[in-house]
Amino acid sequence: MRAGVLVTIVGMAAATYLTRAPLLLALSDRALRPPLRLWLRLIPLAVLPALAIPLVLLPDGRPALTPSNPQLWGTLVVLALTAARANLLLSVAAGVVVVAALRHFGL
Amino acid sequence: MFVYATVWGGLARQAGLSLGEIVLMCLIVTAGASQFVAVPMIAAGAPPLAVIVTTYVVNMRHYLMAATLAPAFRGFPRRWLALIAHGVNDESFALAAARRNPPDPWFFLGSVAAVYGSFIAGALVGAVLGGLVSDPARYGLDFAFPAVFLALVAVQLKRRGDWAVAGGAALLALAIAWRVPGNWHIVIAGLVASGLGALVMQPEDP
Repeated sequence: MRAGVLVTIVGMAAATYLTRAPLLLALSDRALRPPLRLWLRLIPLAVLPALAIPLVLLPDGRPALTPSNPQLWGTLVVLALTAARANLLLSVAAGVVVVAALRHFGL
Repeated sequence: MFVYATVWGGLARQAGLSLGEIVLMCLIVTAGASQFVAVPMIAAGAPPLAVIVTTYVVNMRHYLMAATLAPAFRGFPRRWLALIAHGVNDESFALAAARRNPPDPWFFLGSVAAVYGSFIAGALVGAVLGGLVSDPARYGLDFAFPAVFLALVAVQLKRRGDWAVAGGAALLALAIAWRVPGNWHIVIAGLVASGLGALVMQPEDP
């Protein structure tokens, strides 16, 4: 096991435990205040696109907002299928197949 | 859950994580979305602190679940709770909270055991299978990461404000990532867009 990766994984575990344990151990009957609840619900909705979209549109740090970027088409397929309430893993698999096919045929 | 973990295990293996690293992460982190987030960052050689802070932000939603579960665990020994806390996860929470309010603690724990077991078993199967594929980009598998992230978000978008938060975060992240090297665009855009959304949007009923 690589030392840097070990540090990363242990740090991830500690950071994650810090999100799980304190409020469970507090055993409080008081619900979180509504604006705080809303913020906690919105965080993943903001973090995941902040991660995904630059991976798709800025591969290697260079803008690639062109039809020749296979990942752009894969993204549209994934979003269309999830919007149509398709199974999550099915949507992902379809996106992967589209990207692989476009790369294979060099379209 | 098993299939989701299998996909993660396979992708993690192709991204260069060893079997030991994969098993350790499943055992002590045990948070699917953040593990999906961490793998491409680790593969790209991101500094540990960047991965750890990003993991923390992705997992901050656990605070919401832990606070909702807390009343159900009144009367449990604190030492147990310190251990049970590690089991807080999206799927078990969703199942337990949908059945009863406050959730049934024993139902929750049963679900945690099932999720934990299938998560680790799935990741192991995926890791072994993933070791067999030699050129992931050829099969479009590098795209599986953004695809999972986008699908996870798309199923959660309910209110108009949700769309604005997700879209705003994407644009802000693009702008930052284009100009600033490193991985901080994820955390910064994520916190800024969700924080603005929480300030502007009408809070919802619990």
